[in-house]
Amino acid sequence: MATYSLATEPRLRALEDIEREIGAILQNAGTVILELSKEKPNQRLLHRHAAAFRASVQHVEAELSAQIRYLTQVATGQPHEGSSYSSSKDCQMALQRVDYVRLKLSDMARTCEQMLEN
Amino acid sequence: IEDETQVSRATQGEQDNYEMHVRASNIVRAGESLMKLVSDLKQFLILNDFPSVNEAIDQRNQQLRALQEECDRKLTALRDEVSIDLYELEEEYYSSSSSLREANDLPLCEAYWRLDLDTDAADGLAAPLRASPEPSAGPLPPAAPAHSHASGPGPTEHA
Repeated sequence: MATYSLATEPRLRALEDIEREIGAILQNAGTVILELSKEKPNQRLLHRHAAAFRASVQHVEAELSAQIRYLTQVATGQPHEGSSYSSSKDCQMALQRVDYVRLKLSDMARTCEQMLEN
Repeated sequence: IEDETQVSRATQGEQDNYEMHVRASNIVRAGESLMKLVSDLKQFLILNDFPSVNEAIDQRNQQLRALQEECDRKLTALRDEVSIDLYELEEEYYSSSSSLREANDLPLCEAYWRLDLDTDAADGLAAPLRASPEPSAGPLPPAAPAHSHASGPGPTEHA
């Protein structure tokens, strides 16, 4: 499909950022559990990663709530029935006209060349 | 420590290990369901966000209409140029043959089609030809009658 509209791009990018942040959340949780499994866990590292985990979870929750709130306001449940088919068909016809003219011109050029040879 | 608890140290260790496995699996499952939620949100946004869908359709319509107008404009300019050249060619053709008007003198379009047919006949196509010499009134002869041939270039258009 063609380039997506400017209204959607920031929202899609926000959702992609949320996905990356969820990955970071899992990373932090894994680091914390790994640290806890050691004989002598590093307390500072533990606290840092746990704080990062909590902050990321809260941020993701806020962002997702905002997105869902926007969608509940905008969505109607009905499918969108708009299309660009008519203008696409007109453009196709115009391109076929151009092709036809090109074909005829090439025929005429060939005929002229034959005349000149003869 | 073994006196305080009811289970041995090894059992406690195993229990802690199992608990960590289960909690880690829960965290991973929760993360995966969050990712699925985000993916569903993206899909829902693309399909059901009407303002952006309308804008996308409008943009596409504009692009296609602009392209179509460009094509038509260029074809019109080409047509104008070709009609000027055709006028000059017809003047030349009819002025050169006007002093020697004979029965088998053909209008310019018919002469072109006849040449086209001769080329096709040389290529092996059988085409019935009906030469119809018409008295021309000037550089713009009347519309040629429709006659059948294998490769029809179509009736001549006259302004």
